[in-house]
Amino acid sequence: MLFNSIEFLIFLPIVFLSYWFLFKNNTKIQNVFIIFASYLFYGWWDWRFLILIFLSTLLDFYVGQRIYENLDNKKKAKYWLWISMAFNIGMLGFFKYSNFFVDSFIDMFQAFGYDFKSTWTLKIILPVGISFYTFQTMSYSFDIYYKKLKPTTDFVAFTAFVSFFPQLVAGPIERASNLLSQITNKRTFSYAQASGGLKLILWGFFKKLVIADALAPIVDDIFANYHSYPASTLILGVCLFSFQVYGDFSGYSDIAIGTAKLFGVELMSNFKFPNFARNVAEYWQRWHISLSTWFRHYLYIPLGGSRVSQLKAVRNIAIIFVVSGFWHGANWTFIFWGALHALFYIPVYLMGRNRMYADNVVGEKTLFPTPIEILQVLLTFILVTFSRIFFRSPSLTDSFQYINQIVTNFSYESYVHPMGYRMLDFYVLLGVFIFYEYLIRRHEREPFKFKSKIVRFVLYVLVVLAMLLFYDDGVNRSFIYFQF
Amino acid sequence: MMMESTDHSFISNSRSMKKFLLKTVLYTFLIVIALELTVRALHLYTEDPPRFIDEQGVEKRVPGHNGYAVTGNRNQNFSEFHINQAGFNSYREFEPTKDKFEVALIGDSFIEGFHQDYFESTGKRIEKMLNDGTEVYEYGYAGYDLANQMHLISAYQDQFKLIDEIIIYLNYESDLNRGEYTPNKQRIAMLKSTVFRIRDNIKLLAYGSKIGIVDPLKKLVTGKAFQESSEGYETNKIEVPKKKEQEYLENFKSLVELYGFDKCKTTILLDSRKTSDSFLEYCRQNEIKYLDFAPAFKNTKKPVTLIYDHHWNSHGRDLIAEVISDYVAKVSKNKKCE
Repeated sequence: MLFNSIEFLIFLPIVFLSYWFLFKNNTKIQNVFIIFASYLFYGWWDWRFLILIFLSTLLDFYVGQRIYENLDNKKKAKYWLWISMAFNIGMLGFFKYSNFFVDSFIDMFQAFGYDFKSTWTLKIILPVGISFYTFQTMSYSFDIYYKKLKPTTDFVAFTAFVSFFPQLVAGPIERASNLLSQITNKRTFSYAQASGGLKLILWGFFKKLVIADALAPIVDDIFANYHSYPASTLILGVCLFSFQVYGDFSGYSDIAIGTAKLFGVELMSNFKFPNFARNVAEYWQRWHISLSTWFRHYLYIPLGGSRVSQLKAVRNIAIIFVVSGFWHGANWTFIFWGALHALFYIPVYLMGRNRMYADNVVGEKTLFPTPIEILQVLLTFILVTFSRIFFRSPSLTDSFQYINQIVTNFSYESYVHPMGYRMLDFYVLLGVFIFYEYLIRRHEREPFKFKSKIVRFVLYVLVVLAMLLFYDDGVNRSFIYFQF
Repeated sequence: MMMESTDHSFISNSRSMKKFLLKTVLYTFLIVIALELTVRALHLYTEDPPRFIDEQGVEKRVPGHNGYAVTGNRNQNFSEFHINQAGFNSYREFEPTKDKFEVALIGDSFIEGFHQDYFESTGKRIEKMLNDGTEVYEYGYAGYDLANQMHLISAYQDQFKLIDEIIIYLNYESDLNRGEYTPNKQRIAMLKSTVFRIRDNIKLLAYGSKIGIVDPLKKLVTGKAFQESSEGYETNKIEVPKKKEQEYLENFKSLVELYGFDKCKTTILLDSRKTSDSFLEYCRQNEIKYLDFAPAFKNTKKPVTLIYDHHWNSHGRDLIAEVISDYVAKVSKNKKCE
C-alpha cells in the first residue's frame, strides 16, 4: 500500500480509531493490532513476501536471546551474531544482488574473451523494503551483542517493532533501543504529538505530490533523451532530480514519522534540510540520517572509526560510502556514486571539518546566510548533484555519456516541458519551496512552526492548494526508495 | 492513589482525543471552505453551460449563457464561451439568407470549441481568411455524433436550405456507433440530477473531477484500482476499430437514408489517418465529398493538440480553418447546386 493512495487514506483513519478506541486499554492487544495492520499494509502489495519479514523477525528474536545468554562467551555470541547477519544479508543478497553478481561475473569473463550466456540470471522480484527491515532486525542483534540492549522476551512487541507499518518499507531504519522500548511500553494519546503528526503528514504529502511528482516527468524526459539535449537542459535535469529525490524520500519519511506520531510513537528524524549543507560531511548528517547512523554504528565504529591511524580512518570512510552505495542498488552506478561521495568526504575529514556543522544550521545567528555560507551551500549542492548523475542513470556508460554530452554540447536552449506545461510554474514552485525550507531550517519535525494561528492556517491551505495545482494523474506515484 | 492516577490519565486522554478529532474535523472543514473560495477566486474550475432538448428533438445549450471553460490544473487553457440564441457557442447569431454566402460547420466538442475564446473560434478564423463577407455558423456540441448532426440538419431544414455549404466534422472512430438518432434524454436528466448539480455548484469538486483527483476514489468504488495499467501519457492513442468497419458503414447508410444527404452542398471533414479505407472508398464511389485535414496536420512541426487532451489547440484550429477556407474559396463558391 502506498502512502499516497486512496487505500491508505481509508486504511489510516480506520487503524487509528481502532487503535485508540478499541484497543487502548491493553498494550499487548494494541501491538497485535499493529502487527495485523502492518501485515495488511505490506501484504496489499504482495502477501507472499510477508513470510520473509516473519522469518527475519523469528530468527532475530531467537538469535537476540542466544547472543545475550552467551555474552560472557564472546566466541559463541559472535557465532550467533554471524547467524543473524548471514540470514539477513543472505536474504538481501539473494533477492537484491544475485543477478548483479551473476551479470558482473559474466561481464568479467567476457572481458577476458570467455563468452558465457546469461542463463543463470534469475527472474527475481525485489521485495519492497527488504533493505530496510533486514537492517532494522540486524541492529537489534548488534545492539545486544554490543551490550547496548537487553533482548525482549515479548515476541509480539518484537514483531510489531520489525513490521511497524509507517516505517516498514522505506524507513527511517530504527534502532531497537529507540523503537522497541516505545512499543513495549504503554502508549498514551497526546494531542500535541498527534496534531504534530498530522502536520508532518501534510508536509510530507506536499513534498511528494507537489515537488517530487511534479518534477518527475521532466527528469524522466531529460534522462531518457539526454543524447538530444544541450548542456543547459542536462544540468537542469540533474538539478531537478536532486529536488525530486529529496522531495520523494524526505516526503516519505515525514509521512512515516507523522503517521507513527499518530500512534504515540516517535521515530528518528531522517532528513534535516540537506540542501542547506555547507560541506559534504554536513550533508551526510542531514540526508538519510537513519542509514548513515546505522553504518556509523555497525560498520564504521566496529572497523575502528576515526580512532585509528589516519590512513585506516580514510579506508573506513571509503568502505562505508561504497557499501552505502551498494546498499542503494545492485548496480555499478550506485557503487560509483558511493565512491564519489567518499572522494568528496575524505578531504573534509582530513581538514578536520567533518563535525564542524554538526550542531548548527546555515544562517545560525542571522536571518539570511552569509555570502561565504551561500558559496559553501552552492558548492555542496553542485557536488552532490553531480554525483546524482550516477545515481539516476541506468548504467555507468549512460552516466559518463551524460557528462560527456554536457561537456561537448555546452550550449543553452530553453527547455520545453514534455507535456507542454509552463516551465515557469516549476521554477517558481522550487524557488518558493527552497525559501520556505530555509525559513523552517531548524524545525524538520515542525514544518508549520509559526506562532500565529492565521499564518499556520494560510500555510495549510496553500500546501493543499499546491497539491491541487500540481496534481498530475499521468505520473507514476511510487516512491523512488521503494526500489532500494 | 494508583487507581486515581489511572482514572485521571484516562479522562485526560479522552479529552485530548476529543479535542484532536474535533479540531481535525474543524480544520478540514475550514481548509475545504478556503480552497472552495480560492478555486472560485482564481476560476480554476470549468463551466459547462446547461443543456436541453428543444421541440425538434435537437440537443443543445440553453441560449444566452456566458462563462469560461478551463482545461488543466493551473488555468493552462482558459477560454470564454458565449451561447448564442440558436444554442451554440458562437460569436454570431445564425441568420441565413439567400443573399449571403453561409457555411455551416457541424460537429462535436472540436467544433463547439470550448478550448478557445469564442471570438477566436475556427469559424471566425475561416471568415477572416476568406474576408469576403462569408458567415460561418458553428453548430458544435460536445457529444454529437453523426446521428445528432444529420438529425440537426433535417430538423432545421428550413434554415439549412438557405445555407450554401454544410461541413460535417466526422470523428470516424466514435461518430458512427448508431444508425438512427434518438435524443439522449438520460444524459440531460443525469446532468440535471442532484449529484451533478452538487458537483457543479461545489467548484472545488468540479475542479477535482476535471483534473482527475477523484479518479482513484472512483476506481476504488468500481474495483478498477486493483487493475492499474501503466498507460501513462499514451491517453491520446487512437485506434480505428477494424472489426466495426462494416457496422459503421451500415450506420452511415442508414443515417443518409433517414435524414437525407445533400451531396452538392455537404462535405465531410475528416482525418484520413483515423478513418477506414473502406469508408473513404464508399464516399468516393457514391460522390460523397470529404475534406481531409490529415496532410495539413502531418506536415506541421508544431503540436496541433492541447496539453491535457486531444482537442485542437490554436495552431490546430488555424490549420483546420485554412483547409476549410481554401476549400470554400476554391470549390464551394464555384459550384452550382439546384
